[in-house]
Amino acid sequence: MSAAAISLSPRQRRAFGLLLAGEIKIAIRRPVGLVVAVGVPLVLLLIFGSIPSTTRPESALGGISFFNLYVPTLLVFVLIAVGLGPMPSQLAAYRQQGVLRRMSTTPVSPSWLLGAELTLSLIMAAVAITILLGVGAFAFDLALPNTVGGWLVSLLTLVLTAAATLGLGLCVAARAKSPQIAGAMQGVLFYPLAFFSGLYVPLTAIHSQLISDIAKVLPTGAGFNALHAAFGGQSPGVKPLVVLAAWAVGTGVIAARIFSWE
Amino acid sequence: MYIEPLVEPPPAELHRDPPAPPVIEVAHLHKAYGRTIAVDDVSLTVHSGEIFGILGRNGAGKTTTVECITGLRAADRGEISVLGLDPRRDRHELHERVGVQLQESAVPELMRVREAVELYASFYRHPADPRELIANLGLEDAQRTYFKHLSGGQKQRLSIVLALIGQPEIAVLDELTTGLDPEARRDTWRLIEGVRARGVTIVLVTHLMEEAERLCDRVALIDHGRVIALDRPAALVDATGTARLEDAFFALTDETTHADTNGVTR
Repeated sequence: MSAAAISLSPRQRRAFGLLLAGEIKIAIRRPVGLVVAVGVPLVLLLIFGSIPSTTRPESALGGISFFNLYVPTLLVFVLIAVGLGPMPSQLAAYRQQGVLRRMSTTPVSPSWLLGAELTLSLIMAAVAITILLGVGAFAFDLALPNTVGGWLVSLLTLVLTAAATLGLGLCVAARAKSPQIAGAMQGVLFYPLAFFSGLYVPLTAIHSQLISDIAKVLPTGAGFNALHAAFGGQSPGVKPLVVLAAWAVGTGVIAARIFSWE
Repeated sequence: MYIEPLVEPPPAELHRDPPAPPVIEVAHLHKAYGRTIAVDDVSLTVHSGEIFGILGRNGAGKTTTVECITGLRAADRGEISVLGLDPRRDRHELHERVGVQLQESAVPELMRVREAVELYASFYRHPADPRELIANLGLEDAQRTYFKHLSGGQKQRLSIVLALIGQPEIAVLDELTTGLDPEARRDTWRLIEGVRARGVTIVLVTHLMEEAERLCDRVALIDHGRVIALDRPAALVDATGTARLEDAFFALTDETTHADTNGVTR
C-alpha cells in the first residue's frame, strides 16, 4: 500500500485524505468498534492489573505472573477485534446501502474506501496497543521486552498478526451483503480465535498437547506464542512468524479474488 | 417548499434543428445476466444539450442500459460511444465528464451533507464550488445534517448535487423522483430544467410518463429490452392518435405484446 501511496498525485492524495478523515469521523460518531477494540482490552487490563494475586509469579504458569502472561493475549485480542470488527461491518453496510455503488460512478474507485478503512483499522490498533503497553508498564509494572531485538520481534509479530486478522476481516467484508451477515460471520470466527489467544484461560494452564498444537497453526495462537516469547526475553523462532505470514497472504489472496463491489 | 429556479428554462424550440452534435451513441446494445436477457437490442443517439428520456416499465432494461452507457457494466454485444469515449476502456475519463445518479446508491449514513459534497468534489479534476451548488439546490439549511436524517426530497437533491459536482457535460439521472411527493417532484423537475439551461445534457430514466412528457425533448420507449419508439413526446402522442404520452405508451407496448404472441418479433 505504501507503494501505491507514493504514486498518487497531490489531488488523489487530498481525496484519500478526505476519505480517511470521513471514515475517522464516522467511527467516532458510532464508536461501537472503538469501544470493543480499545475500551474492552483496557478495562480487562485495569481489572487484572489491580488484583494483587494476578501480578504474583505462579509456578503453574511457568514462573511468571498471570498479568504478564495476559498482556500478550490482550494485544492479540485488540488485533482480532480490530481486524474482524469495524472494517468488515462498515464495508458490508456500505455495500448494502449503495455507498460502494455510488462511488463506482466517480473517477475514484470504491477500492479507495477499502484502503481508508484498512488505514483506519491500523491506526486504531496502534493507538489501542500503545495505550495498553503504556498503562501496563507505568501503572502495573508490566514486563516489556528488554532488548532492541525483543522490541523488533514484538513489532514484527504485531504487524504480521494485524495483517492476518485484517485478511480474515477482508474475507468477511468481501461478500457480506449486510452488517448483520458480517456480524454473524465475525462471531463464528472471533470466539474460537480468541480462545486460542488465551483470552478465556491461559493455554499453558490447560496442559493439552492437542490444544497447543492447534494454537500453533492459528493466527491468534501463533501471535500469542511469539509475543509471549519476545516479552519474556526469548526468541520465538521463525515458525510462528511463518504461520502468521501464511495466514496474511492466504486470506489476502482469497479476499482479493472474491471481493464484490456491489 | 419553494426552490428558486436556477435560470429560466430556454424556449422549447431551442432543441429543434439543426440537431446538436451527438454526445451518446448506442448501437445494438445487448446484455444478459445468465439466461435472463436484460437488454435485447437497444440503439439510440443523444444530442448535446437535450433532455433525453429513457422510458419503460420496471424491468424493461432501462437501468442496465444506463449502466452500460456509464461504464458500470460491460455490454455483451453492441457499440457504445459517450463523448467519443469507450465507457469500459476510458471509464476513468468518462467518470470525470459524466455525472451519474443511480438507484439504490447513497453516501454513509453518518456523513453530513457538506462533508459528502466536499469529499465528492475532491474526486474530480474541475469540481464546482460545493457551497454554491448546495445553495443552488436549496440544501443550505441541511448542510450539517447527517445523510440518514435527510427527507426523501433532500436525499434526491443531494444526489443531484453529487451528480453535478464534477461539472459534467452529461448527467445521467435514474428514477430521480420515484418516492417523492408531488410537490417535491415538481421542484425536482424545475431543478432539472435549470441544470439543462447551464448546457448539461441530461439522460433521464423514468417510468413516470407525466415526468417524461413535461421534461424530455425526446424519449426512447423501451419494452422487453428493445427500443419500440423514439421521438418527441408530442410526436408519439400524435402518431398513436392518443391524448397523453401514457396512452401512447400503452398503445405502442400493447402492439408489441400482440406482435410477440404472433411470433413477428424475435
